[in-house]
Amino acid sequence: MPTVKIDGVEVTVPANTNILEAAKRLGIEVPHYCYHPGLSVVGQCRMCQVEVEKMPKLAIACNTPVADGMVVATRSAKVEKARRAVLEFYLLNHPLDCPICDKGGECPLQDYTLKYGPGESRSVEEKVQRVKHKVLGPHIVFDAERCILCTRCVRFCQEIPKTGELGVFSRGDRSEINLFPRKVLDNAYSGNVIDLCPVGALTSQEYRFRSRPWDLVRHTDSVCPLCSNGCNVVLDVRHRQRGEELLRIRPRENAEVNQWWMCDEGRFTFTYLSDPARLRVPAWREGDRPAERGYDDLLLRLARSIRRVLETHGAEAVGCIASSRLTNEELFLIRRFFREILGTPHLDFRVRPVQFQASDASEDGFLRRTDKTANSRGARDLGVLPGPGGLDVAGMLAAASAGRLKALFVFEEDLVQGFPDQPVRESLGRLDLLVASSMFPTETTALAHVVLPALGFAEKEGSFTNFQGRIQRIHRALTPHVASRSLPEVLRDVAVDLGRDVGGIDPEQVWAAIGDAPGPYRGTAWKDVGPEGLLPEQSREPRAESRDA
Amino acid sequence: MISNERQQRFDDLVRRYPEKRSALIPILHEVQAEVGYLSPEAIEWVAAYLGLSPADVMSVASFYDMLNLEPVGKHMIYVCQNLSCALLGAERLIRHLESTLGIRMGETTPDGLISLKRMECLASCGTAPAIQIDGTFYEKMTPKKLDDLLERLRDGRLKEAKK
Amino acid sequence: MAFEKILTRYQDIPNYTGTMDAYIARGGYQALPQALRELQPADLIEVVKRSGLRGRGGAGFPCGVKWGFIPKDSAKAKYLVCNCDESEPGTFKDRMLIEEDPHQLIEGIVISSFAIGCHLAFIYCRGEFVDGARVLERALQEAYGRDFLGKNILGSGFDLDVYVHRGAGAYICGEETGLLESLEGKRGQPRMKPPFPAISGLYRSPTVVNNVETLCNIPHIVRRGAEWYASIGPPKSSGSRLFSVSGHVERPGNYELPMSITLRELIFEHAGGMANGRRLKAVIPGGSSAPVLTEQHLDVAMDFESLAAAGSMGGSGGVIVMDDTVCMVRVGEIVSRFYHHESCGQCTQCREGTAWLHKVLRRIEHGQGRKEDLDLLLDMCDNMKGKTICVLSDAAAMPIESYLKYFREEFELHVRERACPFEGKGAF
Repeated sequence: MPTVKIDGVEVTVPANTNILEAAKRLGIEVPHYCYHPGLSVVGQCRMCQVEVEKMPKLAIACNTPVADGMVVATRSAKVEKARRAVLEFYLLNHPLDCPICDKGGECPLQDYTLKYGPGESRSVEEKVQRVKHKVLGPHIVFDAERCILCTRCVRFCQEIPKTGELGVFSRGDRSEINLFPRKVLDNAYSGNVIDLCPVGALTSQEYRFRSRPWDLVRHTDSVCPLCSNGCNVVLDVRHRQRGEELLRIRPRENAEVNQWWMCDEGRFTFTYLSDPARLRVPAWREGDRPAERGYDDLLLRLARSIRRVLETHGAEAVGCIASSRLTNEELFLIRRFFREILGTPHLDFRVRPVQFQASDASEDGFLRRTDKTANSRGARDLGVLPGPGGLDVAGMLAAASAGRLKALFVFEEDLVQGFPDQPVRESLGRLDLLVASSMFPTETTALAHVVLPALGFAEKEGSFTNFQGRIQRIHRALTPHVASRSLPEVLRDVAVDLGRDVGGIDPEQVWAAIGDAPGPYRGTAWKDVGPEGLLPEQSREPRAESRDA
Repeated sequence: MISNERQQRFDDLVRRYPEKRSALIPILHEVQAEVGYLSPEAIEWVAAYLGLSPADVMSVASFYDMLNLEPVGKHMIYVCQNLSCALLGAERLIRHLESTLGIRMGETTPDGLISLKRMECLASCGTAPAIQIDGTFYEKMTPKKLDDLLERLRDGRLKEAKK
Repeated sequence: MAFEKILTRYQDIPNYTGTMDAYIARGGYQALPQALRELQPADLIEVVKRSGLRGRGGAGFPCGVKWGFIPKDSAKAKYLVCNCDESEPGTFKDRMLIEEDPHQLIEGIVISSFAIGCHLAFIYCRGEFVDGARVLERALQEAYGRDFLGKNILGSGFDLDVYVHRGAGAYICGEETGLLESLEGKRGQPRMKPPFPAISGLYRSPTVVNNVETLCNIPHIVRRGAEWYASIGPPKSSGSRLFSVSGHVERPGNYELPMSITLRELIFEHAGGMANGRRLKAVIPGGSSAPVLTEQHLDVAMDFESLAAAGSMGGSGGVIVMDDTVCMVRVGEIVSRFYHHESCGQCTQCREGTAWLHKVLRRIEHGQGRKEDLDLLLDMCDNMKGKTICVLSDAAAMPIESYLKYFREEFELHVRERACPFEGKGAF
């Protein structure tokens, strides 16, 4: 492993590491535009020039592998003059758009110019004018004047989704990035070019003019909930004074899961979190109409109803269908509540055909997967499955139809939608007690006696397990509505009303219990699940049906 | 949109190269000759033929001076504007061409007959000023010789002008 | 004493047609059988090294040394590419060679391919050479017909295919890696080096790129020996060179001469001296990328070292002569306009710098120059040199620096007078 000295400090790195990456390990910034570790190296921007002892000319750090004994200077006079010159060249034709440019405040062109660039322009020539705010596709707006021709976007489309929609046209200072006429930038990963673009040339339609980066006060690490890949993300939230709102989702780097990318669906699907149609308060249906009730009162009533069913018909008359959209912690508490506290064997999460396999398949050979829920693997690993003599989802619906199942709890699934060719409405209609939780009103909640508002992924602390078996944390980015309680809180409170104890409900406490229990997570501690997730040894192979614990 | 005969030639052309993408620019020359210019449809045809994205092919085509992505006239007149030709009167030739034809360099006559293009060094410096009409050199040009050529061009007698 | 021409000997033959028969009649296609039968490839490389032949495209790199970089033990196919993209302003020798005596080049290509173990060679011919490409195609056909190309050439067991590949109009495709990119069907954007083409060139395989004139010398070196070639001209710039002389001379044209010739001799003895009896003001000795020289430099020898010592370069051998009716600011405008047009656009300094240079020079020429523009130009040039993927940026900068060096008062006059003193009366 070669050792290189950069600005007087030594670092040893794996062979073939380039100077830029080696410097990064030392916390030394080498300014750059065209280089990206996930894309081919082109060496075009010339921003990352550094001085290497014994080399007569400046070298580009992105394409110079470190050699043992190499001595590099990133702040020499020669380097500073070269950097200032490159920035001056960039700024010759760059429009003075900062006041109206989304990138302002988080812009490497602004930042490098401030740090390394000229303070004034020496040019009196007319700036080249180009097309501005051209819509390239459903999510992307292009401003050709701002473009610095780093070609990251072109290379991305060629190398990652391999759709090649963008190209550099013409030559020299007439070069312009564009689409082929009448084509659209609509591959499933188009949004990544927004992150890649070092300036405001490629911006998000959804985010356009919505905020300034300094108003996004929270950047919360989380995991995308929309499929089993579990792309790591960052949630950017605007501060309370202007209205706390999730305004943007960006991918977070994870070499094992999503590298630097995420799909457009995950990136742009989040406005539902602030949709006014969301259920916020619990409701109890009296006759035909649901009436909103306070939690304490409602949960007390619920506990009474549960006790009635248990005493009259026994635990076997109660069933629970829990969604694989729920976190590991919620699922563990559900299993404990229904299998241990209520003692029913009827528990399942498998509403979709794909969930009956050990593992779902890739949808597009890249990041998107066919299981559109985040935590089927966690549900399976935690044993959210029928116990001895227990019914699966279809069985529970049949039992409800037959009058053998009296109470059914459905957490965040719409069974009517999930089984379109079954007489689900009729089945559910026969129940004495139907409790449904959901973020939005559904056909199932319409039939339920008790409707509980559910929280979205951005409003919870917890974890999902992706298709690889990797446990990944989600963090709370948004304050839940003041009138809503989390699912763990609800389970705890109902248990108390039943004179029982569901145990600690914080993720750390829940994991202490999970780690103690048999199963693939035995021995796992919450603290071991770091920002890049945890793949427990036993979890590495896709698991067959879990043996009931 | 491309004749079978020409497509046969493309198949042969592709076989010359270890990697078929190499045939792109020779094919673009031929397609331009057949279609008149590299229209979006022509580019899409070539892209499909070679298994490339249309943006990729257009990116390549737009790099080169001789490939026209816009319609051009039936005849193309290149005039070298570089140093040796400029020293020997190229700008005078250009002014003469522009006033005679009533268009600027880079434009096409309204009847679609002639397009004018400023080019850089055509490697004819010893016989400056030099022009090309449809790929044929005409050297040591003067405005008078130009007039003669234009007349022959209009009459369809250009081939005989080459001495 | 007239110099004994090597490459252009055919010009002494009246009505020379350049066909296969004509070439053979004048002694052609004797070097090829000799090379195939008597020499091993390694020997050939040594012969060319000893001859001292340097590249005639512009860089002047020793040809045999370049051949020697091809790895002998690589399993990859090797390629030879003839660079016929002649686009350096002031240069017109390669065009003459391919149009008038194509078989000399072809023989050179076959021998060179044999030397480096190449079985597929391309002649990258600039797109504007429509006739030239046609002549080459015809000549290649003839060569195939007579067993000088194809399988088992002259019974030697050596196979070689050669194809003409036309460019489409881009100066940067004369840069060897820009050429390779173009040959691969892409934008002609030069590659980062290392790796060099000898290791990773065409299709990432070992490749030699040689200029037309360079390859035309090979048959003669084989026939008459390395020592003979090395004895011509100064020791480090051996052999003959084709100087393309243009501009304000009586007899512009290509002149084949040893590089011991001086600029004065070239212009005044061979090219007939200044046209119209005017005075020499400036001369560019090696294509427009070469810094300008003035009458104080007329006794510089035209070899690579001497020209470099004089602050310019041998370059492509394109000699552009300018008399005292020429406005040097306008020259700067025209030359900078060229690089502005030809920059491929990859590197920031070149893409933006070539445009800025041109705009400033145009402004000065049109009487809107400012005092600070001159030093601004020099700083721009400094920022454009030595920091890019290829040297087009340097080629754009160095000439402008030289015009300012030798003709600064002329620039200052433009600024002071807010007008071009040659307006309406100069050469342009």
